[in-house]
Amino acid sequence: MRYLPLIWTAVMRKPMRTLLTLLSVAVAFILFGLMFGLNASFDIVVARARADRIFTGARFGNGNGGGIPIAVAHQIAAMPGVKVVTAVNFLPGYVQDSKYSVFLVMLDENARKVVEDWPIPAEVWNALHKDRTGIVMSKIQAARWHKKVGDTFTMISRAVKRADGSNTWTFKILAIGDDLPEQSNGYVLGNYDYIDKAKPLADQGKISEVDLLANDPATATELAQRIDQAFANSATPLNTTTDKMARSSKDFNGLDIKAITRGIALAGMFMVLFLTGNGIAESVRERFAEFATLKTIGFSDRAVTALVVLEAALPCILGAALGVGIAAIMAHQLPGLMPPGFGLPPPTVSPVLMLWAAASAFVVALLSAALPILRLTRMDIASALSGRA
Amino acid sequence: MNILRQIEIVSLINFRSLKLRLWRSLVIVVGMTCVSGVLLSMLSLTEGMHKAFLDTGDPGRALVVSAGSQSEGNSAISRDKIRFILDAPGIAKAPDGSPLADPGINSGVPVTRLNGIKASSILRGFGPKGIMLRPEFHLVSGRLFRAGTRELIVGVNAKTQFQGMNVGDKVILPDGEWPIVGSFTTGDLLDGQLIGDTETVMKAIRRPAYNSVLVRLASPAAFPAFKAALTTNPALAVDPILQSDWYKKISEGQTTFFNVIAYGIGIVMAVGALFGCLNTMYAAVAARGREIATLRAIGYGAFAVAVSVILEAAALAVAGALIGAAFAWTLYNGTEGAFGSNVFKLTVSPLLIGMAVLWAVAVALLGGLLPSIRAARRPVVEALRAT
Repeated sequence: MRYLPLIWTAVMRKPMRTLLTLLSVAVAFILFGLMFGLNASFDIVVARARADRIFTGARFGNGNGGGIPIAVAHQIAAMPGVKVVTAVNFLPGYVQDSKYSVFLVMLDENARKVVEDWPIPAEVWNALHKDRTGIVMSKIQAARWHKKVGDTFTMISRAVKRADGSNTWTFKILAIGDDLPEQSNGYVLGNYDYIDKAKPLADQGKISEVDLLANDPATATELAQRIDQAFANSATPLNTTTDKMARSSKDFNGLDIKAITRGIALAGMFMVLFLTGNGIAESVRERFAEFATLKTIGFSDRAVTALVVLEAALPCILGAALGVGIAAIMAHQLPGLMPPGFGLPPPTVSPVLMLWAAASAFVVALLSAALPILRLTRMDIASALSGRA
Repeated sequence: MNILRQIEIVSLINFRSLKLRLWRSLVIVVGMTCVSGVLLSMLSLTEGMHKAFLDTGDPGRALVVSAGSQSEGNSAISRDKIRFILDAPGIAKAPDGSPLADPGINSGVPVTRLNGIKASSILRGFGPKGIMLRPEFHLVSGRLFRAGTRELIVGVNAKTQFQGMNVGDKVILPDGEWPIVGSFTTGDLLDGQLIGDTETVMKAIRRPAYNSVLVRLASPAAFPAFKAALTTNPALAVDPILQSDWYKKISEGQTTFFNVIAYGIGIVMAVGALFGCLNTMYAAVAARGREIATLRAIGYGAFAVAVSVILEAAALAVAGALIGAAFAWTLYNGTEGAFGSNVFKLTVSPLLIGMAVLWAVAVALLGGLLPSIRAARRPVVEALRAT
């Protein structure tokens, strides 16, 4: 603690230099926070993705409004290794204008078993299956359409017609659910039976997707391949993937998001490393004689080292705190700026990430202070004092 | 002595003493290297994709899609409309006198990337005129699919991105697997796609309607008449568009958002580099306080001193930008990339490099301005006395 005034004086010797270093470090840590925050979000999604959950849809046709005969779901349910199967109908459409798109997922009674990890209580599931026109909206969607429980929700679907030929679908909001990390756009869930019976007779019994759980997570990938093979020569070949595979962070539209975000964050760190390294080296060079004095009056090498490291660390740690703080605020604003359906989750700036940022800032400080410290420990006190070093 | 000569002399003194301030100067160089390296690496993706889209579009061809369609996949043109479209004026004629036009089909097809991840590519249908319409089409190996037969040909880039895309491999379609009998190149986005016979593909994937019609225009001047003939027929409800304009529109839709992210990150990094530049230039000016004061005392103008400070910052920043560009170019230019269902070559174009240099100049101007003013304004006597 008694070193504190010494460090403070050193840091404030050139306040402009300290301020600019701090700001530069803060900017680099904004990137650090956003990039590793995005990584963390992907990790959360990957961790939540279940190894035993499998999605399968039609290989051709977009599946909107149903392209797979319901019989396929029954056939899959009878395959060995399958625990539970749910048939899913999609209802894509828009509200008022085609640019305000919305996507409803219509689920049957088995859905609650396949997505048992979703934050939807049993009574909400019960209500959903009792009330045919009922829907459950996530908070993001409810906020987007300014809806609350009990409100009516009307949407228009170009892909899915009602039996009377109309395209307008009206629902009642039964509950507002918590959002899911993997559904960055939120979700709207409805009653499968209702949409199936409301469609023209020719379209009934056709589904968009079959979701299922495997008995054993270890064999899920093999089961997915078996499903693809079983229907490869049928009229509706399937495209099957495991939940784990679908959420891989190594492949976002063909991009390795993790490698990209890491590269950007590291470039930022490298940039400030040079800056802080240069700053502390200059500061030590300017005060070489002062350090010689300190050593003369009995400061050990270790004490001098601590002084220099702390002097380098102060703007780094403060800058990191400032930068990650700004990143956390930005992360909250980002979802609103993303176009709907882009699928990039908002960065998660967690306490763990903040610890990593602090550690990184300290490493940057240590690396920047390394060379000046080497010079100080090897200094010849007499020549340094006389100004000859 | 005129002002330009003064600037020249003061700048020369600066540059010659740069090696005394090597490490400090490197802060600007490294900062700008990081900014330009990251920015250009990210933009190489959208630039490459944009270039591939533009290559795919030919201003000598026009595409007809159903009114309001945002993609070929969402467009549907029923069979009964085809005759009216082919009869429209302005379409070039094939040697046999028939219109050089091809109703086509366009469907997503599930593929597996080499890393095992499921993705989607595009399956196109070519009719009898499909190849005649595209002089850029060349068969590389194997043979063409036969009309009416369940066979496919594959673009040369598809097999370097996706599993099971070699001649002899089979692709799952409804009611059975189709063999790949040949591979082709067009030098554009089609190189990442699959092609089969239009009618056979339509039957297989149960599509009653075509997606679009591609026509060769008799001349570029023929497009307005062609367009007018189609748009004035209320029964058609189609949008004719030059193929080049179509792909420009599609490209903008697919690249804009990623561009915004890339520029956003670039700007944040540039702000960081800017603080570094300010820091360095303030230190440089302070270190050379007496030198500058001496120059001022013997008659050099404050303006020349200020300009020389900015020039120094600019030279360092531009050097950094070029090094960063060299990194991005070496790492990414010409390498094959994929985004969504598109396969293309990443591109670091001279235009992008030029932009990085402009960013460097901007950072140097902003970062050098305040220090240069301080350098120019410092009273000569005070600076000379300072130790």
